Amino acid sequence: MSWTGRFLRALDNPIVAKDGISRMRSWRAPLAITLYLGLLGAFGFGIFSIEVLSSSYSRPVSAQIGAAVFGALAWFQLVLICLFAPALASASISGERERQTFDVLLVSGVSAFGIVWGKLLASLAYMYLLIVSALPLFAAVFLFGGVDLEQFTLVQVITVVTASSIGAVSLLCSALFRRTLTSTVSSYGASFALVAGTAVAGVILSYIKVLGQAAGGLEPHPLLFANPFYALNTILTQPSGNPIHAGRLLQLLFLARGRSSDWGPQLEPWQLSIAIMLIAGLLSIVASVLLVRGRRASLPFRRPRAAVVAQ
Amino acid sequence: MISVEQLGKRYGRQVAVADVSFSVPKGEIFGFVGPNGAGKTTTIRVLATLTPADRGRATVGGIAVGEDPAAVRALVGYMPDFFGVYDRLTSEEYLEFYAACHGVPRGRRRKVASELLELVDLGDRREAQVDTLSRGMKQRLCLARALVHDPSVLLLDEPASGLDPRARVEMRELIQELRRMGKTILVSSHILPELEELCTWVGFIDRGRMVAVGPMADVRDRVASGRRLRVDLVQPDEDSLLHVTELVRNREGVVDAQVIDDHVELTVNDAFADHELLALLVNKGLKVRSFGVVEGDLSEAFMRLTGDHHS
Repeated sequence: MSWTGRFLRALDNPIVAKDGISRMRSWRAPLAITLYLGLLGAFGFGIFSIEVLSSSYSRPVSAQIGAAVFGALAWFQLVLICLFAPALASASISGERERQTFDVLLVSGVSAFGIVWGKLLASLAYMYLLIVSALPLFAAVFLFGGVDLEQFTLVQVITVVTASSIGAVSLLCSALFRRTLTSTVSSYGASFALVAGTAVAGVILSYIKVLGQAAGGLEPHPLLFANPFYALNTILTQPSGNPIHAGRLLQLLFLARGRSSDWGPQLEPWQLSIAIMLIAGLLSIVASVLLVRGRRASLPFRRPRAAVVAQ
Repeated sequence: MISVEQLGKRYGRQVAVADVSFSVPKGEIFGFVGPNGAGKTTTIRVLATLTPADRGRATVGGIAVGEDPAAVRALVGYMPDFFGVYDRLTSEEYLEFYAACHGVPRGRRRKVASELLELVDLGDRREAQVDTLSRGMKQRLCLARALVHDPSVLLLDEPASGLDPRARVEMRELIQELRRMGKTILVSSHILPELEELCTWVGFIDRGRMVAVGPMADVRDRVASGRRLRVDLVQPDEDSLLHVTELVRNREGVVDAQVIDDHVELTVNDAFADHELLALLVNKGLKVRSFGVVEGDLSEAFMRLTGDHHS
């Protein structure tokens, strides 16, 4: 089969349609969208009101209001996605086990990759629906100005990649643990580690780097680049970017001192953040496939054993 | 069609299957009988490619389960002992989903689902959501699910468990209909009288080992019948019945003689000549109303074969 055919077949995954139908027929689906948009809208309106009230004496330009509301919405959306994504993906496979439908799925013609891919796509599709449904709220900010299209696009890309990455990690937890409760708790743990853990560790390591140094400013440790909120912050506060050489990145990673290395391509923080999250997501998918495949008798390294002749 | 040779499987230190060998010819219904924990489900899971065997060899349609599990899955329809359903799908969607999983072309899925729903007598419930079906209907739907890819072999693990008598009869008739369609069926069950009516072949498993296997009539005759004789007297008073037992107890070939209710039952071995007993009783002036071999049934055979370990 050609690669195009494989790609089309991968998209035509029956699990996506089945999970989509099941999810959208439950009362939780419209409730979650309502809650998501309601919270986002209320938060955006709150920030807008505060900006208008606080600026009534200083007469700011509307662009400042637009930028402030946009930034607040972007931050809050990322927070919501970090909260929603584990909940949506962490029951994907463990739920099948608890429902006692997993064995039947395993003996069907769907491959281990097909199961994992289908489950991930089904979870992500709903998260993407949430993100897309919030676009009109973001678009409203354009009425005020202060936000360029590149910023707007990058914010949405960061949000989508974060949702995908957390979704993939949550799916791994779901494949790893038999119980949905355990899977959900560990997914939130992983999400928290990605968001808060990298921020705290990154800041601490950044300060360790400058300790004892006579001169030189504070430079962010590369661990911070794994943090989607840091990437979001650079997009919102430094639209022109703050590129860093790959060589300097490695220096900072290992807390090496000395002259700044300037070899390698220059990378924006958001590019690094996206790359790190995509790698984490891909590794999670591979690990999930291996775990699901391990549930069958067809593990490649088990084949010789399974076919052993009677003793 | 199904062949299992010296299969062995253990979970940690727990031996699930020690030594299981049997074969099922094409088009037969094989009853797999054994107490709880005997190894039935593990053996079926090995055949369904869900559990790798530690040793031995299992083939379906000549294909080794461990060597080409995907080809085996295409041949096998599996119905587990405990299974769940996707509640928010309709019966038709449920079958279409599994048809898609098994690679049935999109254009044929609706037709396949419709035909199978008619086969399992759920044609009028095609639009009903699965969670509204009774347990018996869900069992039939699950059997239809196992048939979506038109497998030549069916592995049914306790298909009638938890069903009311009417639903059991319906399930039995359905399995017989599937045999008429040319399917080879392996069915495990504790409801022995049902298996006796349903199966053409039978295998007894106990503590992970096969204790008897073969065509139903052969196993029944070999294990249970022909070696018990029943003597009914015209006037079955206690003295007469005890007199009969005293007369025969010490004769060659008599293993046991007991008064049971209003008759005497003898357990004899091959050395015993049945006709001599009748002559003896008549010569002693006892009025014999009937004298004959006690026909054994599957339950009795099962109890005899497994009784030594479990009593």
